[in-house]
Amino acid sequence: MATDTAQRPAFPAGGNVYLPHIAVIEKVIDETPAVKTFHFNFKDEKLRQEFTFESGQFAEYSVFGVGEAPFCISSSPTRKDHLEFAMQRVGKVTTALHRLGVGAEIGFRGPYGNCFPLDVLQGKNLVFVGGGIGLAPLRSLIWNVVDNRDSYGKIDIVYGARTPADLCFQYDLDAWAKDGSIGMVTTIDREHPDWSGTVGLVPKVLEEVGPSPDNAVAIVCGPPIMIRFTFPALAKLGFTPEQMITTLEKRMKCGIGKCGRCNIGNLYVCRDGPVFSYAQIKDFISSEH
Amino acid sequence: MADIDIEKRLRQEARELLEQGKVDRIIGYEAGSLKFSTTPMVTADKDDTDRLVVNPFVVNNLSAFLTGMEGKTGVVAKGCDSRSIVSLMQDRKVARENLVILGIPCPGLVDVRKIEALLGKESDELEDIAREGDKVTVTAGGKKTELPPAKVLFDNCLACDMPTPEEYDVLLGEPQAPATDPTASRAGIEELEAKSPEQRWEFWKGEFSRCTRCYACRNACPACFCQRCFVEETHPQWVLPVPRWQDNLIFQLIRTIHVAGRCTDCGNCERACPAHIPLRSLSRKMYDMVDELFHYRAGTDRNPEPLLTAYDASESED
Amino acid sequence: MAGNKKIHSQDLVKLLEKWSQDFTVFAPSRENGEVLMREWDGKDTGFLEWYRNSTQPPKDAILPPLEKMFAFHKEKEGYRIELPPEQRRRLLFGIRPCDARALTIVDMPFKEGYEDPYYLARRQGTLLVGLSCTRPYDSCFCTSVGGGPSDASAVDVLLTDIGDGYLAEAATSAGGELLDGAGLADASPADEAKAVEAKKAALAGIGRKIDTEGLKDRLLSCFEDREFWEKTAAKCLSCGVCTFFCPTCYCFDINDEMVREEGARFRSWDSCAFSVYTQMPMENPRLEKWRRVRQKVCHKFEFYPMNFGVIGCVGCGRCIRLCPVNWDITRVLDSVPAAAQS
Repeated sequence: MATDTAQRPAFPAGGNVYLPHIAVIEKVIDETPAVKTFHFNFKDEKLRQEFTFESGQFAEYSVFGVGEAPFCISSSPTRKDHLEFAMQRVGKVTTALHRLGVGAEIGFRGPYGNCFPLDVLQGKNLVFVGGGIGLAPLRSLIWNVVDNRDSYGKIDIVYGARTPADLCFQYDLDAWAKDGSIGMVTTIDREHPDWSGTVGLVPKVLEEVGPSPDNAVAIVCGPPIMIRFTFPALAKLGFTPEQMITTLEKRMKCGIGKCGRCNIGNLYVCRDGPVFSYAQIKDFISSEH
Repeated sequence: MADIDIEKRLRQEARELLEQGKVDRIIGYEAGSLKFSTTPMVTADKDDTDRLVVNPFVVNNLSAFLTGMEGKTGVVAKGCDSRSIVSLMQDRKVARENLVILGIPCPGLVDVRKIEALLGKESDELEDIAREGDKVTVTAGGKKTELPPAKVLFDNCLACDMPTPEEYDVLLGEPQAPATDPTASRAGIEELEAKSPEQRWEFWKGEFSRCTRCYACRNACPACFCQRCFVEETHPQWVLPVPRWQDNLIFQLIRTIHVAGRCTDCGNCERACPAHIPLRSLSRKMYDMVDELFHYRAGTDRNPEPLLTAYDASESED
Repeated sequence: MAGNKKIHSQDLVKLLEKWSQDFTVFAPSRENGEVLMREWDGKDTGFLEWYRNSTQPPKDAILPPLEKMFAFHKEKEGYRIELPPEQRRRLLFGIRPCDARALTIVDMPFKEGYEDPYYLARRQGTLLVGLSCTRPYDSCFCTSVGGGPSDASAVDVLLTDIGDGYLAEAATSAGGELLDGAGLADASPADEAKAVEAKKAALAGIGRKIDTEGLKDRLLSCFEDREFWEKTAAKCLSCGVCTFFCPTCYCFDINDEMVREEGARFRSWDSCAFSVYTQMPMENPRLEKWRRVRQKVCHKFEFYPMNFGVIGCVGCGRCIRLCPVNWDITRVLDSVPAAAQS
């Protein structure tokens, strides 16, 4: 049956789920030449106070007159003074977003989707596997976990990008590397003169790091091809499909399970996801790609 | 030569081509699931060739399936279809050596919508439509009515002066005489030409208000072979993909210009349109303009470069 | 049934005029051969002579091909959003049982979870005066998917042609109100009998049938059968005809437009058949045509039953009649192989 979204906190503007709230950009961070992080806050004071979300949820961000695009909320719900999202310039809407600066107004609809299952993750060892901008939803969860450190076990992070210039959230990587309770491995795909650290594709480096599957859950996010090779790598290490969690990306428009386009089988990524366990999607995912 | 004889020859040829491994597949027509219809058949199975048909309802331009096909293909082609194939060859979308063209001389196809309008009955309420030589006989409610071809053939068939394919590997019938009276087919265009620009604008505004941007016209057209159509570009966004009559009209006008010099007036676009928009009034007009201005008719000569992609500095500027 | 009314043919125009006072009445009209439900011209009911079913399904009154969601104005203080004005209530006169049933099927995704305000406002503001079928098409197969030519389950009023007029049955309380206020005569036993005969005859006229037994499981079983889907998809043109003209299809696209300081966000019909439907910057999960054809068939006959417990098709036959290459869903469903024995 369809996922019951009635339990999720919702903030429809004027009671109309398609109307965006107005948000103002407060800070722009150039992560890479193509990726930017935006810090923003709602124009409406009351909404600023009331708004809540969970790690893993996304929102539809508007550039009025250009269109809407879905991005995860990349800040942690434990740090509420502002909200964040990260995006890569690849098309019409993202190019328009890329041109915006501090003070610009954007539209915000959300939070949508399900979230990382904190109740399942509590007390477990967590293995985060990320690639490129795929770190964005993971960082929300990582900071969420770090801010409640005692509730979770070991934390291992394997993160990679094509080249050093493509590594996002450098400030997070530095902070996590300094955190004694986190095993941080950053890698790039191929040898590079500006890089003296680990080299290798993320799934391969993950195998080399070899985290134990005992009482562990792996959370994976990155380009589809990385995800596709990470699942077998985790299986090799002894992780079951239920122990593998990912967050998927699809072309989206409405973000609320109505326009039809983001489905995998009978599941809609915007409504039943974007967070899925591999067990949920393995029947449909191999031949959807 | 009667349809049934051409059909026999076609089935034999197609079966042999598959049996001898000369083609990887055959594209032809088989009986449709509705009365007076056919449907394209794409098959690699030689036994399927027993279902190939040749009749007054073989309407689809099968060359639309050729772009991007791998290996060798045996394809059934009427006059207009074979010219579309030549046009595709000129655009390098299909290689001649990968095709076995099974040519069908075409006496013109029956427009069931015209019969429906004449008899005031819909096609599933008619008992039979039969063509024998120059006669078309419709049976409805037990009564037989003979209708002259000028009243029941498609407009583009009435205008056709090249019904026999000139590019083929096998010609499956006797060459067909061209149509002698194109006036019946020009009625729609002449009506429009007689209107003032304001009247034409109102006319097309009305017609394109019914367009839903289903792109049946574009997808049925062999000349529309672009992997990414201009309407699918967002960066820049040439036309919004929303069905406002203005956007619909712009889409169709640009499409008509894009297929200029490639369109062979096969009529597929108008036939495919579920909203009954008279698209041929645009595409045939373009066809005539191309003929007038450039003395060029798509697919009649496989040598030149595609009309609007070749530029000669010495050409006149007028 | 107790309480049924009779509408005499000669009184029909007056009745529509009366209803026009409270509703915008939509009725079948013909434009260059295309049949559409449009605002009734107020003249006559001549359309009843030729009307079988509309080309475009009446879903276009509830989920129109193009809809302005809101306008936005760029002002000195920032963006101001403006909702479109409310619409007058509508009455769809002559909607067929299959199309009405289709609306109850499309309701499901639009009601569950986040309610769609635009769809629901139109839906709640539209009354359905259905018309039993008398001349089903040879492409109709409603009885195979849970419907019927005189199925009253989804209309407010059902009219059935009994020769000199129509038997009018109220199927909802709103329908009852509509009929009660119209000063109609009660139906006689003879009227009722004629209606029963007419409905029986229409039922006998549905010739096309499919077997939906175990269909969901058969489709699940052959999901990975690339050869089957490639063969099935071979002649499909990937246009949007079957989806746009389908009464149970509802996929839509959202686009913005802005000229200087004024703009709007639109919703418009979209189709899973289009190759760009699932286009992403780095990949397209349904680039190949066979994947899109598989999606369309499985969405209607496998995923919809999995999510909502009902087949997402009402057997209206439009897709069969209108497809430029006569791709026939009933033929395709008959060819789905038996579920693999595990």
